[in-house]
Amino acid sequence: MAIDIWPGWVGGIGIGLFVILHFWIMGRPAGCSTGYGNFCGYICRLNYFRSGEYKELNNPRLWFLLGIPVGGLISAQASSEPWHVSFTMGMYDAVLPQTFTGKALWLTFGGMLLGFGARLAGACTTGHALVGGAMLNPPSLVAGMVFFASAMGMTWLLFYV
Amino acid sequence: MTTRTKNILGWLLGALFGFLMSRAGATTYDYHAKMFLFQDFQLMEVIGVAVLIGMAGIWWMQSRHMLSLSGDPIQFPRKPWNDTLVLGAFLFGIGWAMTASCPGTVPAMLGEGKLPALFVLLGIVLGTFAYGVLQDARLSCRRD
Repeated sequence: MAIDIWPGWVGGIGIGLFVILHFWIMGRPAGCSTGYGNFCGYICRLNYFRSGEYKELNNPRLWFLLGIPVGGLISAQASSEPWHVSFTMGMYDAVLPQTFTGKALWLTFGGMLLGFGARLAGACTTGHALVGGAMLNPPSLVAGMVFFASAMGMTWLLFYV
Repeated sequence: MTTRTKNILGWLLGALFGFLMSRAGATTYDYHAKMFLFQDFQLMEVIGVAVLIGMAGIWWMQSRHMLSLSGDPIQFPRKPWNDTLVLGAFLFGIGWAMTASCPGTVPAMLGEGKLPALFVLLGIVLGTFAYGVLQDARLSCRRD
């Protein structure tokens, strides 16, 4: 799957403008990871997913998540290579488990760390590193640095050990 | 502004976000590995420029006390410190390295037809669910 990629600074300007646009349109910061709890609220009866931020489950945060695949689809459709499904992961194919089951379990476990870690930390790359970084919020800057440092350490272990 | 209008606007913003993530290279696995191995700085450039633009925009909106589209003051809540922030961020980073994706890029990857994202998506929902289970258990312990 080859997506046509913009130069980094063009992508950066686009995403920076998106952050501003989101503040203006929704009146609040953009975020991704919190919306996953809305799905949990629909499939279980835990108090945590029925109160506080999750009091109203059918909210813009949930719809934001549902909109993201549409953008990915449009981007892929408008790329020079035709849209197709793929199970390849580029450089990662050489270092991840080689069987289908192994790869599936690896990715599911990695996803669990993303979901669980984001709730423990209060936000993900979008809420902490991108928006929190733009607000120069100290806890977000720390979280962003730890995200990056631990991902870098783990990537080195994966590729060089 | 009705809830339905807000939901539709949220959906449209999500589509824009997914498109931008895709074009910026954040949904392309190799850019993540190459950034962490110091071979290519596409994603560093993206987030660096995005944060600077966002910073300027937020400063501008705050200094003018700009109102949102619906006419209310824009809220700029700051994520607070908490005891589990560093541990959570550490675990999140491991997950990032294992999957070369994050909660914002996974739905965009699905739209692009990248099937590995299905498993990551399942994992994110399970991980979020596990946090909810822990929170409920903690609250009921306190009540007892």
